[in-house]
Amino acid sequence: MKGLTALKTLRGRIIVAAVTVSAGLIPVALIGVGALSTIASTIQTELTGLQRVTTLTAGLAGAVSDEIRHAEQYLTARDDDTADLFRAAAAAVYQLQRELARLPELGEEERQAASRIGGLQAQVEVRYAYAHALSDLGRPEPAVAAARSARTPADQLTRETKAITTAETERYGAAAARLGGAAQRRLRWVLAVLILTAALSATVGVTFYRSVDRPIRELLEAARRFADGDLRPAPVAGTRMPGELAELSVAMERVGARLRGMVAELIEESDHMAETAGDLSAVSEELAASASEITTAMVEISGGADRQSGGLDQSMVQVERLAAATSLNADVARNVARLGGDIHRLAAGHSREIGQAASTLTEVQSIVESAATQAEQLQRLSVTIDDFVDLIKRISSQTNLLALNAAIEAARAGERGSGFAVVAEEVRQLADSSAQAADQVTDSVQAIRRQTSEVASTMVAGRSKVGRLGAVATGAARALEEIVKGVQEIEQAAQQVTTEAVANLQAAREVGTVLRGVAAAAGQHAASAEEVTAAAEEQGASTEEMAAQANQLIQFAERLKKLAGGFRV
Amino acid sequence: MLPPDVTRSGRPSTARPPRRSRIGLVAGLTLAAACGGSDPIRIGLTGPFEEPRAQSLRLAVELAVREINDSGGVRGRPLELVIEDDHGNAERAVETARRFYADPAVVAVVGHLASGTTLAASSVYNGGLNPLPVISPSASSPVLTDAGPYTFRVCPTDLVHGTRLAAWATAQLRATRAAVLYLNDDYGRGVRSVFIREFTGRNGQIVADDPYLEDLPSFLPYLERIRRRGGADVLLIAGTRTGAERILATLDSATLRPAVMGGDGLAGIEAAGAAAEGVFISTAYLPDRPGTRNAAFVRAYRAAYPKQDPDHRGAAGYDAIHLLARAIAEAGADRAKVRDYLATVGTSTPAFEGVTGRIAFDEHGDVPDKDVVIGLVHGGRLVTAPERRP
Repeated sequence: MKGLTALKTLRGRIIVAAVTVSAGLIPVALIGVGALSTIASTIQTELTGLQRVTTLTAGLAGAVSDEIRHAEQYLTARDDDTADLFRAAAAAVYQLQRELARLPELGEEERQAASRIGGLQAQVEVRYAYAHALSDLGRPEPAVAAARSARTPADQLTRETKAITTAETERYGAAAARLGGAAQRRLRWVLAVLILTAALSATVGVTFYRSVDRPIRELLEAARRFADGDLRPAPVAGTRMPGELAELSVAMERVGARLRGMVAELIEESDHMAETAGDLSAVSEELAASASEITTAMVEISGGADRQSGGLDQSMVQVERLAAATSLNADVARNVARLGGDIHRLAAGHSREIGQAASTLTEVQSIVESAATQAEQLQRLSVTIDDFVDLIKRISSQTNLLALNAAIEAARAGERGSGFAVVAEEVRQLADSSAQAADQVTDSVQAIRRQTSEVASTMVAGRSKVGRLGAVATGAARALEEIVKGVQEIEQAAQQVTTEAVANLQAAREVGTVLRGVAAAAGQHAASAEEVTAAAEEQGASTEEMAAQANQLIQFAERLKKLAGGFRV
Repeated sequence: MLPPDVTRSGRPSTARPPRRSRIGLVAGLTLAAACGGSDPIRIGLTGPFEEPRAQSLRLAVELAVREINDSGGVRGRPLELVIEDDHGNAERAVETARRFYADPAVVAVVGHLASGTTLAASSVYNGGLNPLPVISPSASSPVLTDAGPYTFRVCPTDLVHGTRLAAWATAQLRATRAAVLYLNDDYGRGVRSVFIREFTGRNGQIVADDPYLEDLPSFLPYLERIRRRGGADVLLIAGTRTGAERILATLDSATLRPAVMGGDGLAGIEAAGAAAEGVFISTAYLPDRPGTRNAAFVRAYRAAYPKQDPDHRGAAGYDAIHLLARAIAEAGADRAKVRDYLATVGTSTPAFEGVTGRIAFDEHGDVPDKDVVIGLVHGGRLVTAPERRP
């Protein structure tokens, strides 16, 4: 279980790979060292043994030859020195034979041969000593016969000595061949284990490379997509990826999801804003249209009033001249009163319309206020984005650290770790890219925030302007009420008067009297109409200003939308 | 494996396959063992049992085994002797040692009788993975000191014999001229060289120093040459009883009458009749050695083998068996444990008080404390030689 857990992280895999390679190399080294030391010590032992045996057999052969030579010499010389030399040589043979027989490296056959040499040496020495005794007693013929009898064991002695040397040489030849065979076998073992280790290392290396390479490529791809603004969910697949990369992948998934959510929200908000601004714009246009209509009407009214006033002045002169004495009669007064009521109704109708316009303005004001609130919300959201960007930055800095550690581990692993070093470098670059992407996101978010705050401030300005516009509209409504009332009265009265003037010349004098009052009122009316026109113009300008603000809002919303549209969600 | 014995030996007696003789002996001794049931503990016994010099060894060892088995064996198990004949020959001794070694039930060996055979066989006993402890009753060559950690002996070395003989010759026999005839093997050479060194060290003169083998045509030329050189006060025979008997028989022909002396190789010569009378023999043991243990042993020996006395080999073999019984009882029936125990006898464990005296091993498996006595063949028996009053 623990081993499987260890395999789930990059670090674990690196360690497992290193351990696997060492586990292969250690037996190779052990077998190699063991084989070398065994072979070396065996060679040493065998050579030392061979050297000792050869030295002893060579010494033995020499001593045997000395013994025989001095023994033969004594038969003719019979001096004490030769006797001593013979004894010394015999003692040497005895000594060497004993040493040889006790050599531990001697084979069984050779040991028995050494034992036989001892017996033969005893015989040779005794037979010569016996021959010497006979010779000393002045009996040369039996002495020579006895000496001759010593030659058989002496020859045998020489042969046995040579046989030992030969047997030993053969034995060591066989040992050398055996050693060679053993070395070959061990070499094959070492080679087999080496090949096995190499195959194992390669398998582990490739497996490790694959297990790391694919996830890193996928993560890189995901990071590149994020950098290009593609925030669509594309899971970095593979449950088999190392722990650290899996964590990174999950973190990137989360970053993507959060960014996706934020951008979607942003787009939605900007859509809302654009919609609101569109509404605002439409209302402003309607207002502008109605204001312009009012203005046109007023201009016409004003022109009519002027013309009327002129006509009235002329007719008044004539009426005054014609029927200065014409007085107001009660019918006309009743008609005028009835007309006044009509005018009052009309004016009330206009006043309602203006009131509706004012309430529309109030609605616009509340819409603008809600847009401002939403812009503030947007600003708060951008702070949340900052937090996530911070998270990404932390992850990338940890990944960077991790990559550095991996590079150090790889350097420790030496030549074998160079592949891991490349991987570590890749991981580090990925971390850098993540950090850069995070920085870019930070910049974007800051830009969004800046612009959002601009929108917010614009909204505040718009709100106050809309408020002012409302007040103006209310004032205009009131003025309009009066104007409409007056205009309708005038119109109706004028029409009545004209009809009366045309229909009843007799009533002209009365009319003339009435006209005087009417002319005064008409002058008043004209001034009022001018006043209304000015107010209406003023309202138009405000409405245009509002329309311009609405357009600006629309443009800003479009920009916001375009910015958000840069992200694919 | 080695070829069969028959092909190696010229002697007709060796044609008898040793294995058959061994089985026969084993069966007989197992029956003699009074302890039933448990597996017997095997102890090897070897020597040249066809020769008279090895008879006492075999009889005394068999006596010791009987005594031990009669009293309940060792650790409740009877001892069983496995007897092999080494024919007094180094090659055959090696073969014998191999057979003992190959039988894992054999925990120790008593043998071989002579220095040459013990030395040759020691390479087998001390080698291999499961070395076998061996106690020689009578191999006295100084060379044996370094034969190996599994080789022990319960007799003094030739150095002690040679020294004691030279001292006796000069102090007791007042000899100034000595002739030496030595058997040309490890034993003979050992006794001879120490004697010559010690005798010349006491201002003695060596007038002859001649080697022989049992197949020497005649000792007469050596003896005649000694006479021509002016004779000798003492003649040292550094060899065995066989050669010594021939030399004694030849002395009259050479008209020589020196005092004759020899090492323990001459033991048994007292049975050779009048010619052997008056011969001095250095020996680690004499039946008339004082002490109750020895008296009991001699009594038991004479009871078992009427009209016979134990020699130094028999007494030493008897001690070796009792010592091994103690070692097995203390350490267990295991080769290495027996060896390790023997090595401590006289140091960390008490010395063994045997019929031949006190046995305390030194680091070479020798018994340096043991001395030899000079015996004299008198009336057909070997008795302690009387010392001349100064």
